[in-house]
Amino acid sequence: MTSLITETRPAPVCGLDTWVPVAAEIISINEENFNTLTFKMRFVDEIHRDNYRFLPGQFNMLYVPGVGEAAISISSDPEETDTIDHTIRVVGSVTRAIQRLGVGGVVGIRGPFGRGWPLEAMKGQDVVIVAGGIGLAPMRPAIYSLLRHRKEFGRVMLLYGCRSPDDRVFGSELDQWTEDESIQVLVTVDNATGGWVGPVGVVTNLLQRIRVDAQKTVVLVCGPPILNRVAAWQFLQLHVPAQQVYISLERNMNCGFGRCGHCQYGRKFVCTDGPVFSFDEISGVFGRKEI
Amino acid sequence: MIGAEQGIKDVWFLSLQGLGHMISTLCAKGYTVVAPVVRDGVITFSEIVSVDEIASGVRDEMGPGKYRLIDDPLSRPFNYVVGQDSPKRFFFPPKLELVAMHVEGKRFVLDRTAPKPPKLAILGIRPCDLAAIHVQDRVFGYNDEGVSHRCEADTYYNQARKQSLLIAVNCTQPSATCFCDSMGTGPRAKEGFDLSMTELGGGFILRAGSDDGRAIVNELPVRDPSPSEIELSQLKIDQACERMGRHIDTDGLKELLDDQIDHPSWDEVAKRCMACSNCTMVCPTCFCSTVTDSNDLATNVASRTRHWESCFTHQFSYTTAGSVRSSLRARYRHWMRHKLGTWWDQFGSSGCVGCGRCITWCPVGIDITEQAAILRDHPDASNNGGKRQTERGLTV
Repeated sequence: MTSLITETRPAPVCGLDTWVPVAAEIISINEENFNTLTFKMRFVDEIHRDNYRFLPGQFNMLYVPGVGEAAISISSDPEETDTIDHTIRVVGSVTRAIQRLGVGGVVGIRGPFGRGWPLEAMKGQDVVIVAGGIGLAPMRPAIYSLLRHRKEFGRVMLLYGCRSPDDRVFGSELDQWTEDESIQVLVTVDNATGGWVGPVGVVTNLLQRIRVDAQKTVVLVCGPPILNRVAAWQFLQLHVPAQQVYISLERNMNCGFGRCGHCQYGRKFVCTDGPVFSFDEISGVFGRKEI
Repeated sequence: MIGAEQGIKDVWFLSLQGLGHMISTLCAKGYTVVAPVVRDGVITFSEIVSVDEIASGVRDEMGPGKYRLIDDPLSRPFNYVVGQDSPKRFFFPPKLELVAMHVEGKRFVLDRTAPKPPKLAILGIRPCDLAAIHVQDRVFGYNDEGVSHRCEADTYYNQARKQSLLIAVNCTQPSATCFCDSMGTGPRAKEGFDLSMTELGGGFILRAGSDDGRAIVNELPVRDPSPSEIELSQLKIDQACERMGRHIDTDGLKELLDDQIDHPSWDEVAKRCMACSNCTMVCPTCFCSTVTDSNDLATNVASRTRHWESCFTHQFSYTTAGSVRSSLRARYRHWMRHKLGTWWDQFGSSGCVGCGRCITWCPVGIDITEQAAILRDHPDASNNGGKRQTERGLTV
């Protein structure tokens, strides 16, 4: 397989047209924390297994027949597409139904949709990844790509925050990435339980622990709105150019391809123009209430 | 499609009786003919087989939150403007089953797919609604003129559109809520029609805008129009411009809406808005939809049905963190900015065609032209040109 450091979006897999989901089987489930699970899925039909490609930061619409759909980030390695991971916080009717299906259950997939992280633009640059909670899920494919093509990038720093040590997602991988030192991993928690000796506090506090070379840094942010906001402001204050600060946004999604109108964010459709935006693309509305 | 300023050879006079011929010709060519009729006291598009069914002998009176049909002694077939209904639903149905399927082993088996649309001839499309069809063409990716679209074409819309025949009727009697001349869409249909008609006393000036349209004319008892008939038809349309009930100054409007995002008048609108979603349901360009799922308990067939949705509802922007636009202020602002501003960025055109329906059918008479005028005439100077201070003291 050739390198996937590209920004050309692969065509979504779908049935008759873009509205019709394609069947995929849940082949394993990994428990990340008390309400977050990573589902490994494989398309039932070989043709979709062969054809499916995605870019880090893209998402799928997952479907449970008779229940509905949910937009879920793809969290696995973009260069291993025989199976696809979705890391899901079980909070709604669709995600609960996916959990109930369990291993061997069949879900529908439409996707991939959206614009991912700017891996092409990140080449030769330092990369700071800022993630909160399950916001690490859409980062994981990017981290895999950075690790696979490590020499093409400058320093890579991952700043991750979550509520407590037990709330970390991809815990064993965080440990492994920390250990092999090809990226700098800093984790902070709100509540230091269970013998935690690392940093305590909000994730943006970790900025004090890294060196940022503003002009040659690309920042990737994904977390709850307050983290997105504060992280973006802080990097702008450090004089990282606005077009080098990228944020992945969450909105109500229904179609995934710019047709249903739900995910509008000012002039943008989050599903097709995003979910990843550079700050300068959305500066007029970013952080404003109720846009 | 050809513009209106074409050779004289594409202009004819069709008598009032000739309209009946047109309808039977369309039926004979396999079209389902849809035209304005009176139903439940309002002008509505409906399938017809005879000219008698067309809503002649009525006129409409409109104002903010007001619609009435009154008797018209002239008994002309098109002497009214628009009701709440537009041709939108024939291409983008209010409710459409996209697919129904069941799980068999590890596979999805399709039980039903979206229905095939009928072959429609829509008669009596007002220029604003004709423009709205072309606005939706861009939204739904209908590829007629090689325009680059944001995504692949919608299957049902594309099929329905491709086989449809559009017969416009120019407006000579605008209503009190009309502002098509402000939006550049009327009262004359300039392009994008197969046939267009202008109503005179005893018949119509008929123009063809496509080969499909000319093929129909070939079968009609038409004659060459006299110069005075053409002059009269143009005069009537020109006079319609002068009698527009509403007006929007569109110059720099998109920037004004960006700039006045925190204007206090949004709060005033919100005090009146009931979030009933009427404005979006009657709008000929609104395209938002939601797909809902249902299960047949007897057969276990799961159905996916797309229906019209409104950005005025609470659930429209709902995420697990709550509704993004929980206040009515934000919902109205989003809708109006989209119609007149951000639509340009998304689809390269205005999202408003000036049909006035949102004013007429708003139960409390909220007026988009009035709100636009408030923003222009009384701009909030304190908003620093759309720039603002963030909570960390940055100006962005």
